[in-house]
Amino acid sequence: MSSHQQGKKQRSRADWILLFVGLVIGSAFGFWATPTILYAEKAQPLQFNHKLHLEQVSDSCKSCHTLREDGSFSGIPSVQSCKECHEAGSPMGDGANEAAFLEYIKKNQPIPWLVYSRQPDCVFFSHAAHTANAGLECAKCHGDHGETTKLRPYEYNRLTGYSRDIWGKGPIGLSGPPHRMKMDDCAKCHSENGVNRACFVCHK
Amino acid sequence: MQWDRRAFIKLAVGGVLGVHASPLMWKLMDDSTIWTQNWSWVPVPEDGAVAYANVVNPQTGTGAKARLVQGRVDGTRAIRVEGNPEHPLSKGGVVPQDASALQLLYNTDIRVTAPLLRNRANGRYSKLSWPEALDILAGNLAEVSKQGKPEAIMALGHDPESATGQLLLCLMAALGSPNLAFTPNAGETLALAGLAMMGQTDLGFDLANADYVISFGTPLLENFGAPVATRKAFASWRGFPKNKGFLGQVESRASITASQADMWLACRPGTEGALALAMCTIMIQEGLYDQAAVKASFGFKDEGDFKGFKSFLLKNYRREQVAQMAGVPLEKLVKLTLGFAKAKRAVAVCGPGNSSDPGRMYDFMAVLALNALKGNIGKPGGVLVQDALPLKSIGSTSLRGNVRPLVDPAQGLDSNNPDALAKAALAGKPYAVKTLLLVGGNFVYNGPQAGVMEELARKTPFVVAMTPYLDESASVADLVLPTTHWLEGWGDSTSPYGSPVSCYGLHRPLIKAVPQAKDAGEVLLQVASRLGGKIAAALPYKNMEEVLMARTQAMGDFEQLVEQSFWVQAKPAYGPVKFQTPTGRFEFFSMGLFKLLSGRAGNPQALERMVAMMGVSGGLEAAFLPHWETPAAADDLGTGMPLLLTAVPSLRTTWGGDAITPYMVKVLPDTMLADMDKLVVEMNPQTAHELHLYEGDLIRIDSVAGSLTAKLSLFAGAAPGVVYAPVGLGHSAFGFQVEGKGMNFNRAAKVTTDPMSGLPVWELTAVSVEKVQG
Repeated sequence: MSSHQQGKKQRSRADWILLFVGLVIGSAFGFWATPTILYAEKAQPLQFNHKLHLEQVSDSCKSCHTLREDGSFSGIPSVQSCKECHEAGSPMGDGANEAAFLEYIKKNQPIPWLVYSRQPDCVFFSHAAHTANAGLECAKCHGDHGETTKLRPYEYNRLTGYSRDIWGKGPIGLSGPPHRMKMDDCAKCHSENGVNRACFVCHK
Repeated sequence: MQWDRRAFIKLAVGGVLGVHASPLMWKLMDDSTIWTQNWSWVPVPEDGAVAYANVVNPQTGTGAKARLVQGRVDGTRAIRVEGNPEHPLSKGGVVPQDASALQLLYNTDIRVTAPLLRNRANGRYSKLSWPEALDILAGNLAEVSKQGKPEAIMALGHDPESATGQLLLCLMAALGSPNLAFTPNAGETLALAGLAMMGQTDLGFDLANADYVISFGTPLLENFGAPVATRKAFASWRGFPKNKGFLGQVESRASITASQADMWLACRPGTEGALALAMCTIMIQEGLYDQAAVKASFGFKDEGDFKGFKSFLLKNYRREQVAQMAGVPLEKLVKLTLGFAKAKRAVAVCGPGNSSDPGRMYDFMAVLALNALKGNIGKPGGVLVQDALPLKSIGSTSLRGNVRPLVDPAQGLDSNNPDALAKAALAGKPYAVKTLLLVGGNFVYNGPQAGVMEELARKTPFVVAMTPYLDESASVADLVLPTTHWLEGWGDSTSPYGSPVSCYGLHRPLIKAVPQAKDAGEVLLQVASRLGGKIAAALPYKNMEEVLMARTQAMGDFEQLVEQSFWVQAKPAYGPVKFQTPTGRFEFFSMGLFKLLSGRAGNPQALERMVAMMGVSGGLEAAFLPHWETPAAADDLGTGMPLLLTAVPSLRTTWGGDAITPYMVKVLPDTMLADMDKLVVEMNPQTAHELHLYEGDLIRIDSVAGSLTAKLSLFAGAAPGVVYAPVGLGHSAFGFQVEGKGMNFNRAAKVTTDPMSGLPVWELTAVSVEKVQG
């Protein structure tokens, strides 16, 4: 083997190493940047202890997250609902959080909660159909949210504005409920349970 | 290893491949597509509890339900206007103006969001606070009044029967100015014709229970009374396999109503009233009239010195003569009449013509006479007298005083003539106007004779526009005061034209108003309060809610009424009608009119002169009988204006109320609006041929009032010698989706005064047409 040929072979190996190194760096950057660049955080306006409240009420999640008479879902309770137990003049806890909360109660001002599981506007989702009719547990999609003692920061996609909970925490978005709430998850569950999965079922 | 260009490229390629092996690019691409769902200009209403609230649209009379979403943070938002199945007349239907009302409500670009003061020199607006704006307005009114000439204050309002209209009347009465007029409408003409012949003003047509309907030039399916209720009545006539009702349309153009009718009697424009009289002649000659009803009436036969209706008709309205004059086949006219005479429940309908003008009083009297011959008055499917609305007075509305009004009230029966008032004010005779209040109605667009209204606004020293929108009237006003949309404020409306039962509609704040908008009535109350003294005492209410509460106290519990949003007479008033005429009978010869005018004139010679001065043709013999007057426009035909211009209405355009909405513009056919923004007018192909015009030509239509430029559409259903132009287009305000779409019919229509009613009419205008070169 001539020295020229030997040099060429060595060179080729080095090239492949460089390519691989680039690949590893690029990929690492991609995996790091996906959540870091794409997502931003916002703090909730107040802290809230789901676990504590769940212990106080008789009808689990439904005690506060009710279905209205027309079957639509009330979502996050209004200040009026809070006032059924809390009064402006008599704090049940202490600290700055409780004081801030009582200010909302006093002014009858809505609390601008950030909703982790808010689906895009093009999605029609009926809680009544899934919980009251199909008997699904809240935890099936919302996980252990009802057991938490404090609210985690709300993460949202800088481009789309949607909550990160829709895409999921995983870097490549391959998990399923309750860690993700994508259309694929809806479609998969509908298929498994023999429910119509035509477009118009969810996209009105 | 050598670090050279080659190595760098290898590393970079690896890096790019690595990035692509991560989710970054794929996720970015996915998110980019999702991002397009969230453009900032796409409204995303907040989610919340859904509620429905009853409401009556004061513009259309439709009983509707507003679908409201009660957002937790942003408050209640109206999402949709739907029909209200519980409303006895609307029965769940809506028209395009109802369905798309939110487009005007939520378009903040066209809403007035704060009081504005315009600098006349540069046309720029500056924002004011409400106290400042009210001080300016009250200060001006006080100053003009202080100079001893309160009559120099002139006001134009939209609906005199509404609470806002009543408050405006109260304010003007308290100020001491008689110079007030409202948007004129056919209800006033029907009331005058009813008063002349029946001594009753609140007349309606029981369309839903009729089995044979003849409409005299009335666009029943395009624009009549409460349009939803009329369409519901029309639907009830249609059945399978056989129609339950017959509709005959007497009209010059193959309109939507004509095309849906069982018989279309294509007449020359303006001859509808003459045809009604010819039908009376046929019924009399054939002996097919209600003998009992006629026997109980007055003025059918000659009585003493008075010539009776019968001999007047037989002499002047012979069937052949009228058929020839109106250009209709005689046998078709006879067939339509015989069908009417023999039907069980037949009714003849008159009403606002295609241009929505108040109509000609003698035409209305002719149609009432035809109904009287049929003997359908007070009967199911006939002409009914509505029960009076149980509304309480909210103050003194009498404008009579020592001050001489701008327009002599003796010129006609009704003094509501904004056109005559505007022309007198422009001429400055007998005196000049210093302040002009425009309270709704957008007169600078709607007219009548929009050009005159604009000129008046530009020449009057101080003009105030109270309007929810930055409309044409706001654009020429010195002070623009933001008022509420009907979904965000208090207000009311009364029976729509021709309704068989009396109805009342209420609207209340269902959503938070745009910043600083106040109910128009509330603005009037606050101005009165600032003026103090007897003016404040004449309008002693705090707000519109209080006014409406006082007004409707005879309608039962106010909260329930507000919740229901309407009050409708329980059942139609079938049974003998109490004719409150001087003779106590139905008067074919109007003794009431005769006595009124005789009283004004003083002696028979003066009466004859007065009738001639009013412009009534046929002299004393005809003045108190239903007869046909040649339309004023026909006299202009020989003056270099060889064609007639008239209007084409549609449920997809509007007249008089809110402007056309972007949605309505989108659904307009190419026969009304072409090439995005060109008005399309129709002409008979033969007429076009004679004028050397072709389909698609751009033409200019000139009248003495103004001109229109439009694209020509040839239509065999158009009468020869007539140009048909759509109404409700050609705004110069209301945003890019509405502004500049077509041209404004009201700019070219010449307004004249009906000789007997004194109301303005503009159904026909003499015009010339010229092809636009280039």
